[in-house]
Amino acid sequence: MLEQLLIFTRGGLILWTCKELGNALKGSPIDTLIRSCLLEERSGDVSFNHEAYTLKWTFHNDLGLVFVAVYQRILHLLYVDDLLSMVKQSFSEIYDPKRMAYDDFDETFRQLRKEAEARAEELRKTKQVGKPVTSVKKQGQVLKAGLEGGNKRIGEAASKKDDGDGNKAKVSNLTNGHSKENQQLENDSQETDLANGKENTSSNVAVDLSKLQKLRSKGVRGRGVRKADSIGNKSSKLAAAEPAKKATKKNRVWDDAAPKQSRLDFTDSVDENGNNDHVDVVAADQGESMMDKEEVFSSDSESDDDEEPGSDEKPAEAKKKGWFSSVFQSITGKANLEKTDLGPALKALKERLMTKNVAEEIAEKLCESVEASLEGKKLSSFTRISSTVQAAMEDALVRILTPRRSIDILRDVNAAKEQRRPYVVVFVGVNGVGKSTNLAKVAYWLQQHKVSVMMAACDTFRAGAVEQLRTHARRLQIPIYEKGYAKDPAAVAKEAIKVATDNGSDVVLVDTAGRMQDNEPLMRALSNLINGNQPDLVLFVGEALVGNDAVDQLSKFNQKLSDLSTSGNPRLIDGILLTKFDTIDDKVGAALSMVYISGSPVMFVGCGQSYTDLKKLNVKAIVKTLLK
Amino acid sequence: MENLEDLKILAEQWSHQGIEYLQKIPPSQLYAAIGVLLFTTILLFLSIRLVRRTKSNTVLLSGLSGSGKTVLFYQLRDGSSHQGTVTSMEPNEGTFVFHTENTKKGKIKPVHLVDVPGHSRLRPKLEEFLPQAAAIVFVVDALEFLPNCRAASEYLYDILTNANVVKNKIPVLLCCNKTDKLTAHTKEFIRKQMEKEIEKLRASRSTVSTADIANDFTIGIEGQVFSFSHCYNKVTVAEASGLTGETAQIQDFIREYIKP
Repeated sequence: MLEQLLIFTRGGLILWTCKELGNALKGSPIDTLIRSCLLEERSGDVSFNHEAYTLKWTFHNDLGLVFVAVYQRILHLLYVDDLLSMVKQSFSEIYDPKRMAYDDFDETFRQLRKEAEARAEELRKTKQVGKPVTSVKKQGQVLKAGLEGGNKRIGEAASKKDDGDGNKAKVSNLTNGHSKENQQLENDSQETDLANGKENTSSNVAVDLSKLQKLRSKGVRGRGVRKADSIGNKSSKLAAAEPAKKATKKNRVWDDAAPKQSRLDFTDSVDENGNNDHVDVVAADQGESMMDKEEVFSSDSESDDDEEPGSDEKPAEAKKKGWFSSVFQSITGKANLEKTDLGPALKALKERLMTKNVAEEIAEKLCESVEASLEGKKLSSFTRISSTVQAAMEDALVRILTPRRSIDILRDVNAAKEQRRPYVVVFVGVNGVGKSTNLAKVAYWLQQHKVSVMMAACDTFRAGAVEQLRTHARRLQIPIYEKGYAKDPAAVAKEAIKVATDNGSDVVLVDTAGRMQDNEPLMRALSNLINGNQPDLVLFVGEALVGNDAVDQLSKFNQKLSDLSTSGNPRLIDGILLTKFDTIDDKVGAALSMVYISGSPVMFVGCGQSYTDLKKLNVKAIVKTLLK
Repeated sequence: MENLEDLKILAEQWSHQGIEYLQKIPPSQLYAAIGVLLFTTILLFLSIRLVRRTKSNTVLLSGLSGSGKTVLFYQLRDGSSHQGTVTSMEPNEGTFVFHTENTKKGKIKPVHLVDVPGHSRLRPKLEEFLPQAAAIVFVVDALEFLPNCRAASEYLYDILTNANVVKNKIPVLLCCNKTDKLTAHTKEFIRKQMEKEIEKLRASRSTVSTADIANDFTIGIEGQVFSFSHCYNKVTVAEASGLTGETAQIQDFIREYIKP
C-alpha cells in the first residue's frame, strides 16, 4: 500500500500530506531522498530505495513543487507513477504561492487514488504481469519520432503547394478520421477490440506534438490553423491549454497499455471498416517518416549550436508573422520548456562534456537530471534555451564538486592527536597511477605543517616497491615501517599503526599494492587490510587521464570493499587523490566522473613530479573548464 | 500586414536620416559625446548600487541542514510552521513585516529575509547573498548540538572570515534553536564550545599555506584564545524555538539593524 504522499516546495515547506494514510514513516526517508538523491544530481533516476521504502517523485518546475510518494519496497505498486502525474496536474491547478493549507485537496486525492487503483487493477486482470508496459512505451516513442518527422514533411510540402491541394486534404481528412476514433477510445475504456489501437494512439499523439511545435515556432499561419482544425478537437485543445495537454498525455500512457492487451489477445483480428482505413494511413505515414528521419536528425545536429525555440532560420523566407512571433517570444519569454525544446541543447552539452573526458554514463545522467529540473519551467525574457541549460548545468556541477563534508585533513589530524592515536590514511588504486609518489607528496605537505609522519610499506607484492618508499623516506627524513616482501599487508599495517601509537607519530600513511578492480584475491586482501585496521581515511588514487574506466574503477572498488567486508558497517572510499593533473590540459572530466560516482570529494590534486606539486581542487576553475 | 509594411518603410527612412545626420558631425565630437554618455551612465549605475547597499534590508538565515531555518522563516513570516518542513533545495526568500508586528499601527519597514539551505552542496549559494546582507542569523540546533558542533563551527568560521562579512562588518546572531526541549544545551555552553572549536580551526587553517584557501581573512587576536568578541563584526548569542514560535530575540536583533 501507499505509505505516504507529500507535496512540498523546493524551499522545503510541506504543502500537503495525505492524512488518511497518516502512517508515521520510520526514519526520515524524505530528507534522505533529498540529500542523497535529488541534491546529488540523480533526479533523473526512476525511484529511490531507503531502508524498507521505495520513493518515487516528480517535479513541477515552473511552480517549484516536488511530489513524492512513499511505499513499502516489497510491494510493486503499478499505479504510483500514474497517480503522481495526476496529483501533479490537479494540484498545480489549485496551487497558489500565498496559500499554505490545502485541506480541500483531500477529497480530490481520494478520487484520484481510487481511479489510479482501479486502473492498475484492470491492468493486472488483463495481463497478469505488468511487464510490457515500458516496451510498448518505447515502441510508441520510436514510432512517434518517425511519424513526427514524416508529419512535418507533409506539413512543409503542403504549405509550399497551392491551396487546393487534393493530396493534403486527403491526408488531413484521414487524420481527422482516426483522431476521432481515438477520442472514442479514450472516452470508453472498455473498448478493447481495436487491432491497431497502439499505433493509432501513438501516431495521433505524434501528429499533435509536431503540430504543437509548429504552432509555437512559426506562429499560427492560416495553413496551420486549418490543419489544426482538421486534426480535431483534441489537438486544438492541446494547443490552447497546458493542463489539458497533460491530461491527454496521462491518458495516452494508459491507452498505450490497454489496447496492447487486446492485441495480445486477438493477434490478427481486423474488424470494422473504419479501422481498416486508418491502418492504411498509418502505414503510409510510416513509409514517409522512415525516409525523412535522417534528414530531420541532420538538420537537428546542424542547428545544435544555436537552438532557438523551434529553428528560426527555416521560416526566414519572409514569413512575417513567424518572425514576429519568435522575436516576441524571445522578449516575453517562452511559455513552458518541454523535452523537445531541451533535447538539442542538452545533446550539445553532453557532447561538450564528453570531449572534456567526462565518462559517457555520467554525462548522460547529468543531462537527464538537468532536464528533469528544467522541464516545464518558464524561460525568462531575453534568454535562449542553450544559455538556460548551461546555467542549470553549471549549478549542478558546482553542487556536485562542492565537498559534502570537510576536507580539512589537518584538523582531523589534530582531533586524532587529542585522542592520543595516530591518524591513518590508506592509499588505494589501480596499478601505476602514482600511489607511492603522491604518498610522499602528502607526507611532505604534512611534515611542513609540523605533523610527525610515519610511512608503512604495505606493498609487499611488486618488486622494488619497498625500496622506492624507503628512498622517499630517506629524502624526507621520515621513519618508515617495513617488513620486506611476501608478508600479509594487513598484518604489516596493523604493526605499523601499533608502532606509531607507541612512538607518538601523528599520521601513518599506508602504501598498498596497485590492483586492478577485477582482481578478486587482491581486492579481498585490500578489504581485509581496510576493515581490519579501520583507517581514518581511505584515499582512492586515480589518474586524471582516465576516461570511461573511472566509473568502473571506483564503483568496483567501492563494491568490492562493501561485499568482501565481514563487518556489518563496511568502510568505503572517503576521498580521492587525482594524479597527473598537469598532463591533461583542459580534459578535466575525470574529476567530475570520480566525484559523481563515489560521492566523495577530491582532497588533493597531484600536478607534477616534485614534492611540492600537490594542490587542492579549485571547483570554480574546473566547472569553468568543463563548460568552456 | 500593410500597416506593418508602412511602419517598416517609415523606420527605414528615419534610420537613413539619422545616419546622414551622424555623418555630418565631425568624428571627434561624436566620440566625445559617446564618452560623456558612457561616463554618466556608469556613474548613475554606481550611485544606484551605493544607495542600494546602504539601504539594504536583507537578513540571511544560515546554519547547518536540519537546524530549523525554514521553520523559523515561516514563523517570522506567518507565525506558524504550517505542516512542517523537509530539507530545502532552494533558498526561501520574502520581503515582509514580521507576523507579530502586523497589529502595530503605522508604517513599518519590511525585512527581506532569505533562508539559505544548509546542505553542504548548496553552500556556494550563501556567497551570492552575502554582498547584500545587513545581518546574518546563524541557526544552531541546541538539541543535537554536540554531534554537529564541528561542522557548525566550520561553517560559522567560513562566514566570519568571508571578505564581505569582514569588510562590511555584518553583525552575526548565533541563534540556538529548539530550546523548548528539556535536553537542549544552554546558549552559554554552545558559545563556549563553538569558540573552542573555532580556536582549533584557527590553528589548522592558518598553517595551510601551499593550498589555495578561500578564506581571505583570519579572525581573532594573535596569541590569545579566540572569543567572539575578537571578531571585526559583532557576534551575539540568542535563544529561540521554531516549533513553539519563540522568536522574540531574533526579531529584536533584526530590528536593531533594520529600523522599523
